[in-house]
Amino acid sequence: MPSRPGAGRLGRAARAAFTATLPGLLAVTVAFAETNPLELAIEATYLVKFGAFVEWPAGAFPTATSPFYLCVAGTHPFGSLLDRAAAGASVDRHPIAIRRLDAVPRDVGCHILFVGAGGQPPLDAALAAVRGKPVLTVTAVPPAEPRKGIVNFVMQNNHVRFAIDDRQAAADGLRISSQLLTLAVNLHSR
Amino acid sequence: MPIRGGLASLWRSAPLIVAATAVLLLITIVLVVYSGERSYRTQKANEAASDARILASTVVAALTFDDRKAAQTYVNALAANPEIAAAAVYDAKGALFASFRRTAQVILPAAAPAVGLSLGGDRITVTAAVLQGRSSVGRVYVREIVEPLAQRYQRYAVIGVFVVMAALVTAVLGIAQSELARTNRQLAEANFSLQSEIASRERAEAAFRQAQKMEAIGQLTGGVAHDFNNILQVVLGNLGLVENQLGAGRIADLRALRSIQAAIRAAERAAVLTRQLLAFSRRQPLEPKPLEVNKLIGGMSNLLHRTLGETIEVESVLGARLWQVLADENQLESAILNLAVNARDAMPTGGKLTIETANAFLDEAYAAREEDVRAGQYVVIAVTDTGTGMPREVIDKAFDPFFTTKDVGQGTGLGLSQVYGFIKQSGGHAKIYSEVGEGTTVKLYLPRLAAAASAAEDRIGGEAPLPRGNREVILVVEDEPDVRDFVGGMLRELGYDVIEAENGSAALKVAEARADIALLFTDVGLPGGLNGRQLAEEAQRRRPGIKILYTTGYARNAIVHQGRLDPGVELINKPFTYAALAARIRAVLDAGALH
Repeated sequence: MPSRPGAGRLGRAARAAFTATLPGLLAVTVAFAETNPLELAIEATYLVKFGAFVEWPAGAFPTATSPFYLCVAGTHPFGSLLDRAAAGASVDRHPIAIRRLDAVPRDVGCHILFVGAGGQPPLDAALAAVRGKPVLTVTAVPPAEPRKGIVNFVMQNNHVRFAIDDRQAAADGLRISSQLLTLAVNLHSR
Repeated sequence: MPIRGGLASLWRSAPLIVAATAVLLLITIVLVVYSGERSYRTQKANEAASDARILASTVVAALTFDDRKAAQTYVNALAANPEIAAAAVYDAKGALFASFRRTAQVILPAAAPAVGLSLGGDRITVTAAVLQGRSSVGRVYVREIVEPLAQRYQRYAVIGVFVVMAALVTAVLGIAQSELARTNRQLAEANFSLQSEIASRERAEAAFRQAQKMEAIGQLTGGVAHDFNNILQVVLGNLGLVENQLGAGRIADLRALRSIQAAIRAAERAAVLTRQLLAFSRRQPLEPKPLEVNKLIGGMSNLLHRTLGETIEVESVLGARLWQVLADENQLESAILNLAVNARDAMPTGGKLTIETANAFLDEAYAAREEDVRAGQYVVIAVTDTGTGMPREVIDKAFDPFFTTKDVGQGTGLGLSQVYGFIKQSGGHAKIYSEVGEGTTVKLYLPRLAAAASAAEDRIGGEAPLPRGNREVILVVEDEPDVRDFVGGMLRELGYDVIEAENGSAALKVAEARADIALLFTDVGLPGGLNGRQLAEEAQRRRPGIKILYTTGYARNAIVHQGRLDPGVELINKPFTYAALAARIRAVLDAGALH
């Protein structure tokens, strides 16, 4: 490596960071083995856009302009992608606010909850916690996986698509736009 | 007729109306086409915009979530609408996302066009934004097929042709309808005039039949009467001679004289009957003179009262300033008397007889309605009774000779025929009006005397001794030997010298031989080439001073024209009495002497 002062300092810091987050990075690598950055960006964008195609029950928003909470929990690779996608965005007149959660209590107050597989809280627990609540759960697990959110990202022909469990959405008091439903690759209808 | 005139002018101006209607129609069609075109384009634009909006709203999610397949599905759904030539979805960056083209010829914009509407000759394109919330996630493009102008105009032309044809049909129907109504009206008018023509023809035929019947009966009765006259002449003449001889003789013959006088009276009654027959047949020689009808009726007053008796009141209503008529005074008197007698017989229990006179004008309409009547000025004599009246069928026959409603022996059936014959012969008209139970009016119309000829009142007065001859020579020409003998004998008795001849040529020879003939007394009808008139003319040519007196029993010949004697002609009707002949011969001889 040629000795470049900046590079050396940076390399040390990176190395330290890498060492510290190695176990996490490993886990992420395992979970998103096939996920490339473009797909992540797309998924992040989609997360922001789902809100426009879902109807929450009355009372889901305290006021007409109260924030729209887009929560992420568990292990997820979005990083700042999500913040960028949500910057300045809103659902109706509700500005989107990103919340990162370490735990998912029952009254979490999220409108959309992305739960990554692995990490805390566990996928199962997170999904179970909001079952019956008007929360659009989103996951990105393989289609064969039994535990999925209402929306589950899948890859199809190199495109990011999603399956929708409309039955669960109905059970949770959500109405998903038919336009969105028609886009679902595997619709579990109500 | 104003209605027909109006129709005719309407009909004449029909081409103008048709032209105006055509122009109006044309304007209407142009307006319809213009407004149709506008609304078609508006509608097309609305349709295209609507399609674009639908597409835009359906592809929001597909664009948002970058699902080309879903977008394509939506775009393909539009293909079901045949009016859509192409549709496309562009993403937020303006790149083609999904598209449909009906034909390969259609070229889609490579990049998203600006939002808006564009109108081409054969297409309308609409580009709309796909909005997700307030942000645009892409654009949709819809291109609709606009029916080519030529095709649309063809359609309009078809509609126009239909409209024009409908208008034409309506116009033709309307014209035909009015034409039909006009024809109907004309037909009704024609029918009406035909019916009235038939009616008037029937009346004319009935009148003609009646006239023929009257003519035939007239000829028959005239012939009979003529023969009777000759017979009666002989009877009366001889009776007269005997009476004269007896009257000049002894008292012992008084009974014979009475018998003779009774026979004379009977023969005179017979003569009256034959005169009435002749009157009806219009072959009696009339001696018409200018006559004051009022004066005549006034003079009949006593006679009427005597004839009608006590139970019948007589009233005369005589018109003022009555015109003169030209008529035979005796015959008119006889006619009025006949009417009075009939009236009396119709009023067995008494009543009222009214005789009115007035000036009257019979117009063309009346003349056309009645048999043998000429329009003009008449003096009307109306004789009205308050008697039993006559039913229609009796009125129709009342003028026929021998028709009578009286019992056998009570009437001759000649009274009204005499009236009718005389009036007709005088150029007049007789008419009966009657109501059963109410009474009868008989109106006699005598034509007004045109030239006011001065009435020569020559009444031969009463009971003076018979004027006698002074040995003047009289040439008697008569083909009937009995009549000739009688006349000759009578004239000789009266003191004349008589030469007899049986026909015209014999008479002429005598006239040439004898210069002292004062008077030619001739029958009008003579055998052997010369009639009485011709003989008289020849005789007067040879002997200018010779006087002429005609006699006849049947005057339809040389001296009587239309039943009237020529002016200056002297005539004595057969049968005549001894006294009448004496008076007349003397009068004719003396008339010349006065001048």
